[in-house]
Amino acid sequence: MSLGIRDISNKPRLLPGTSACPGCPENIALKAISMALGENAVFIVVAGCSSIIQGMGPKSTYNYPVLNIAFAAGPAAAAGMAKAFKLRNKDIKPVVWAGDGGTADIGFASLSGAAERNDNILYICVDNEAYMNTGGHRSGSTPFGAKTASTPGGKKENKKDLPFIMIAHHVPYVATASVGYLHDLMDKIKKARSIEGFSYVQVLTPDPYGWMFDPSKTAELGKLAVQTCYWPLIEYENGKLFISQESMHCLDKRTRKPIKEFLKLQGRYKGVSEEVIRGLEDYIDRMWERIKSIYEGKVIL
Amino acid sequence: MMSKVISGNEAVALGVKLSRVKVIAIYPITPQTYIIEELAAMRDKGELDAEVIRVESEHSAMAAIYGAASTGVRVYTATASQGLLYMHEMVWWVAGSRIPIVMTVGTRAVGAPWNIWNEHTDFMSERDSGWIMTFASTPQEALDLTLQAFRISEDERVFLPMMVGMDGFILSHTKTRVYIPSQEDVDEFLPPRKQPYTLDPEDPVDIGNMFQPIDYMKFRHSIHLAMLHSIDVIKEVGKEYEKKVIPIGSYSTLNDSYKLDDAEYAIVSMGAWSLDVMQVVDELRKEGIKIGLYRIRYVRPWDEEDIKKKLGDKQGILVLDRSVSFGRGGHLYLELKSTLPEANIKGVVTGLGGVSIGKDMILPLTRKFIEGNTNNEWFYPSEVEKVELRNPRYIK
Ligand code: SF4
Repeated sequence: MSLGIRDISNKPRLLPGTSACPGCPENIALKAISMALGENAVFIVVAGCSSIIQGMGPKSTYNYPVLNIAFAAGPAAAAGMAKAFKLRNKDIKPVVWAGDGGTADIGFASLSGAAERNDNILYICVDNEAYMNTGGHRSGSTPFGAKTASTPGGKKENKKDLPFIMIAHHVPYVATASVGYLHDLMDKIKKARSIEGFSYVQVLTPDPYGWMFDPSKTAELGKLAVQTCYWPLIEYENGKLFISQESMHCLDKRTRKPIKEFLKLQGRYKGVSEEVIRGLEDYIDRMWERIKSIYEGKVIL
Repeated sequence: MMSKVISGNEAVALGVKLSRVKVIAIYPITPQTYIIEELAAMRDKGELDAEVIRVESEHSAMAAIYGAASTGVRVYTATASQGLLYMHEMVWWVAGSRIPIVMTVGTRAVGAPWNIWNEHTDFMSERDSGWIMTFASTPQEALDLTLQAFRISEDERVFLPMMVGMDGFILSHTKTRVYIPSQEDVDEFLPPRKQPYTLDPEDPVDIGNMFQPIDYMKFRHSIHLAMLHSIDVIKEVGKEYEKKVIPIGSYSTLNDSYKLDDAEYAIVSMGAWSLDVMQVVDELRKEGIKIGLYRIRYVRPWDEEDIKKKLGDKQGILVLDRSVSFGRGGHLYLELKSTLPEANIKGVVTGLGGVSIGKDMILPLTRKFIEGNTNNEWFYPSEVEKVELRNPRYIK
């Protein structure tokens, strides 16, 4: 397969026959990410959809060595593994694959610990904005106003800003990506893979099951999230923040697509009030003010 | 071989170093903290060739060494009390994946209320997790069992993790003379680790993924069988240890006994106070009472056959427990009762939360038992007669 990008592996790393739902964003992300990662990686899969997507043992659809692990333990297991590989002089990258619940909520202490120690691991958070594998419950990463199984009236709080929290850990590399822009995602994974130390990539993975949209529209939702500036594509390296090309237009409020275009395709925002929409717009405005300040060097994180 | 006056914690740290461990996860919790501090210091001075990872919790400590061990290297950590409970989930995960790991538990009471002193409830509450569980009675034994633990847990008939218990403060902080084997002797006894499944891109395997119920149950059964098989392995390793490493221990059986063969009565105990029990036995023997000690060294595997053989014919058995299953009784008592349902067994729960119980208290307890005046009971030397809660009140 050639996508016109250099240095990617075309050896299939996600084999056919996964147990994912139709239109699953994690499947898409996993395929792209493994192309960018190449061979010398081990996956540490934290409880979530990805524990199921690989299928029933003893077979597996992940063509990588995989250590499946309990919810809160991924980064620590990866850290131990990194030490062991270092000792054996092996250039093998432990890659944690976790959902937003495992990252923002239950696994956060362990993630924060690994980041603070600058363990030589790559942490990928696939953010589908709820506990989709357990019936679509809200997580710390669920956005304001979204209806979930545990917030049937819509979530009252904003999304936890994980990328910025990770930047505040002084780690070498933090990036955000979306399954709507796979080239960008692969570039960032390649960069993260090459970093010596801790790197964090959070991929927005719109989930047809939990967000309630037509499974053919996963990539479209991934694009709209970026175009409406709800999901910024950024990179943070060596103390500097970069805004990816696809998100540059967000710096100016006038060139952002209205958030309604992103919301109208999703069942979880069906029939929401104008107040919720204003709340989300407000969230986006404030987020971009912050990004701008850091980008222009006015605020140092 | 040389000898030194050191604490249980120091003895264990030396054992870990001699075992040529490769990755160590450290997190402080009283009373084992000294072990990991000592290991960190050894590493700093270049005496220890291992990667030390300073984790942010016990849950992560177990996860970190699990991750490292899954790549095929030898690993270690230590914990106690709340820490062991906090890592409980990962303790199970490790056994379920059949990954050999060795861990020390410096036993300590569990809150609430806060209490830092010795008790075995933390240790005993892991007995269903699939770990091999051994318990030392002296700093020497803590060292010996640590060295043996790596061999036993890495034996291909076993492949189960193993925890070595040691009475908090009583053994962890008390200094006694300990024989320390030479590196050469340990190297001969403990070869490099071998593992059938390691995480390596050259040979991709998956560990811990979802299995069908029938396969899952087969996995559980395999742990059960491995636990049973480990009885032979423990004896083999123990004998070899006596021969190759330190020729003074007695490790040819899982559990130990003292003046038991001709005894009519037996006391069953585990850990440091077993040495007090030996003095009680001597005292009562002077009075012509035929009594002996059966010391539990292995909680898992449970050596049912040996217990039946050594205790089956006794007139009375008194079990001292430093841990409790609330509403049921001491853990060892319950285990003994299920092994010997017909026997005259009485259990005493005592010494919880560091309540000091020595020979002077065990002696009257034993007399009372021999006189036939003991029911299963709680014993604590104190003026407190009744445990009371405050009066309940309505919240307006
Ligand atoms: S719930 Fe969502 S993330 Fe999980 S398998 Fe289905 S589509 Fe994929």
